[in-house]
Amino acid sequence: MTAAPLVDIRDLKIGIERGRGEKLVVVDSASLRLRRGEMLGLIGESGSGKTMLCRSLIGTLRRRGAVILSGSILFGDLDLAQADERIWRDVRGRRVGYVPQSALAGPNPVMTIGAQLGEAIRRNASGDSSAVASRARELLDIVRIRRPDVVLKQYPNQLSGGMRQRVMIACAIAQSPELLVADEPTTGLDVTVQAEIMKLLRDIRTDMGMSIMLVSHDLALVDAVCDQIVVMHAGACVESGAVDQVAAPLHPYTAALNRSRIELAIPGSELVTIKGQSPAVGSWQPGCRFAERCGIVQADCRVGGHPPLVGPASGHRTSCLHPELMAAMP
Amino acid sequence: MTDKLMSATGLSVSFGSRAQRIAAVRDVSLTLGAGESIGIVGESGSGKSTLARILAGLQRPDAGTVLFRGQPVYANGQAYAGDLRRQVQMVFQDPYGSLNPRMTALAAVAEACRFHDSCAAAAAQEKSLRLLASMGITPEDARKKPRALSGGQRQRVSVARALCANPSILVADEPTSAIDQSAQAQLLNLFNGLIGRGLAIVLISHDLAVIRYLAKRVYVMCEGVFVESGTTLDVFDRPQHAYTKALIASIPGRKPRQTRP
Amino acid sequence: MIAGAATRPYREGRIGIAVGTTMLVAMLAAGLLVPLLSAYHPNELIAIPFQSPSWEFLFGTDQLGRDVFTRVFAAVYRDLGVAFLGVSIPLVIGTAVGILLSIAHNRILVALIASLIDAINALPLLVLAIALIALFGPGLQSIVLVLAMTNWARYARIARTRATLVNQQAYIEAARLLGYPRSRILLRHFVPNVSSETVAYALSDFILVIMLIAGLSFLSLGAAPPTAEWGVMMSEGRPFVQNAWWMTIFPGLALCWAGIALSFIAEGLSRRERGPGG
Repeated sequence: MTAAPLVDIRDLKIGIERGRGEKLVVVDSASLRLRRGEMLGLIGESGSGKTMLCRSLIGTLRRRGAVILSGSILFGDLDLAQADERIWRDVRGRRVGYVPQSALAGPNPVMTIGAQLGEAIRRNASGDSSAVASRARELLDIVRIRRPDVVLKQYPNQLSGGMRQRVMIACAIAQSPELLVADEPTTGLDVTVQAEIMKLLRDIRTDMGMSIMLVSHDLALVDAVCDQIVVMHAGACVESGAVDQVAAPLHPYTAALNRSRIELAIPGSELVTIKGQSPAVGSWQPGCRFAERCGIVQADCRVGGHPPLVGPASGHRTSCLHPELMAAMP
Repeated sequence: MTDKLMSATGLSVSFGSRAQRIAAVRDVSLTLGAGESIGIVGESGSGKSTLARILAGLQRPDAGTVLFRGQPVYANGQAYAGDLRRQVQMVFQDPYGSLNPRMTALAAVAEACRFHDSCAAAAAQEKSLRLLASMGITPEDARKKPRALSGGQRQRVSVARALCANPSILVADEPTSAIDQSAQAQLLNLFNGLIGRGLAIVLISHDLAVIRYLAKRVYVMCEGVFVESGTTLDVFDRPQHAYTKALIASIPGRKPRQTRP
Repeated sequence: MIAGAATRPYREGRIGIAVGTTMLVAMLAAGLLVPLLSAYHPNELIAIPFQSPSWEFLFGTDQLGRDVFTRVFAAVYRDLGVAFLGVSIPLVIGTAVGILLSIAHNRILVALIASLIDAINALPLLVLAIALIALFGPGLQSIVLVLAMTNWARYARIARTRATLVNQQAYIEAARLLGYPRSRILLRHFVPNVSSETVAYALSDFILVIMLIAGLSFLSLGAAPPTAEWGVMMSEGRPFVQNAWWMTIFPGLALCWAGIALSFIAEGLSRRERGPGG
């Protein structure tokens, strides 16, 4: 299917204001394409810039003191990188929904579930209250919360972590957005709850044709539930492709991540680790930022800007300059 | 039973007011042999952290006994009285709270070293630097305060500090939950090496992959009780209890995809 | 977490700390040198009163013909010194009480002392101070006594909250597991992490206490004339503000200088704590 992608991020560069006009670059050379009805898993370790990338899709960069320095975020007919607050107010919630990390944020503790869902459904417009109520019940049904009438009257502290996340998902999809951004939605939740929420997201994708961007650090999870994987390292997207394609990686970092997966290791054997640490923001060297940790690094890997993602438009893309050397990796 | 390094029988503890008591641990029994690695797997609210604290001597149980080399741990006075105290050490889940923020990594480890080996300050520093280096903490990093270190590094410093006491048992309460995947691998390799050198490890985790990798035997805990136990291989491949089955089934993608090396 | 940013040596707040410390050191040096080197004694009635500032009398003379310049700097150690006592004594008492409260077992005693702390904290410090000084009689010693009796409660509250938090941290449990004796845990691990909070508060408290001392002296409740002390000097100069402004302005500027210097230091330190992006 070669339809135009719903989200097309090209060479995005994000920096944090450091006072006196200085900007600390935290994302550089990020590109990805998300098609309609596709679930994309954005994988990266902490410090990889995945959260910043996430924020650029929901327009909360400025609030965090970050700005887009260059690049574009094409979303349907808009370039979100150029969007001002007025455009964002229209896009947020209505066209892009957001589910935050379960451990950090959650439903407003002083509002009932019904009130919050009502807020998400109305979006500042006044609404016929019975229509709002029935839509709220409908949403709770979509997210598989039983006894919706009881839950609507409850406060967040009366619900379990899993149920709270379902409520957040319900709020996020209230306007039937085209894109749902979920930032580590199951971190901190029990594994059985995680499995249910992932199934829920997959079903939402299938039944509502919604595109979902799932940000995670858990490769096993993303491998199991997503259609496309994008791997980030030190602020750059280094590989992207369908989940089956990325299973045979074309970038040494992805290969190293794959090999160091604990669930695939033989118990008791030495776990493969990735040498070194990802370069901290502010101390990025020229060239590919994986160079110091790479087993097949070449001279041209350390010069110039970070290599961009290359490859067929809707296929397997990598930013590695020498993927042909990967067969010889130690 | 007497050759077991540690054994616990009928442990129970509950919290709360007189009106509302919650039984965190109910009639739990387990054994641990020297140099053995066991896992306690359960989800939040299962009571596994409370159990870990009971084994380490930080929480007195309401009922039941814990025996270390045949001696009761919770005798009349303090738990693990006297020289016994150093035998069981713990690694905590939160790497950010595990280290004194005002002490450098080196100072924290050297303090433990000096206390347990009664050696001079310079010798303790030497030993600590070598110990930290063997865990991948460079002398330069060792002189940093915890806030300048990553989560994985802080965990390794905590382990180094615990090892200074020369314990026979290390209780690790969710040691990998708050750190990156690559740091997890490093930490687990470290634990593996320690097991190889005779340290017994009690690994508490909700992460089944970690348990499967490190623990030879596993106890499955749910709402304060052990619902199943056995060798890790058996429990993972042939789970008997409904809860265990549900846990195993929720591991994302049980079947790994084919990867070309 | 951006590890790299945190490893950069404390660049944040350096300017603030440097500027503030320089200002403070300059003032302390002047407070030492000026009275020593000055041709005039702070209490000597040597000249014609109400002279405006000139090369001979840099800050002019006051109503009794004393050199204002010498007096202003003679007051430095008096004002700052008394303020220092008025902060350090409550700091030590308050931190100790707060820590003891958090680890004590006797519930009744803890409840009693906690109520006392809450009661003291509920009253505005200035009002309390004035009331108690009425009891003890005016004077700088009274001020120190009153502060020792009341200000400790603010520190105790901070220390207790912080101590309860620290008590739950894993590194304290780890210290217990390692078998460290209680004294070591208390002194090496507990106290430093609690007092970091109270010492930070003490710095901003210092500024308040300086103002309090000057204020009380201004109200004739603190230092008495002929003592060289900024509050007293401003009080004495008040009736003559129209014609002999230098009697009030210069002590006031000295007060501001001390306050600004300390504010710079306090802000610089808090920026350093927050780290970059704070």
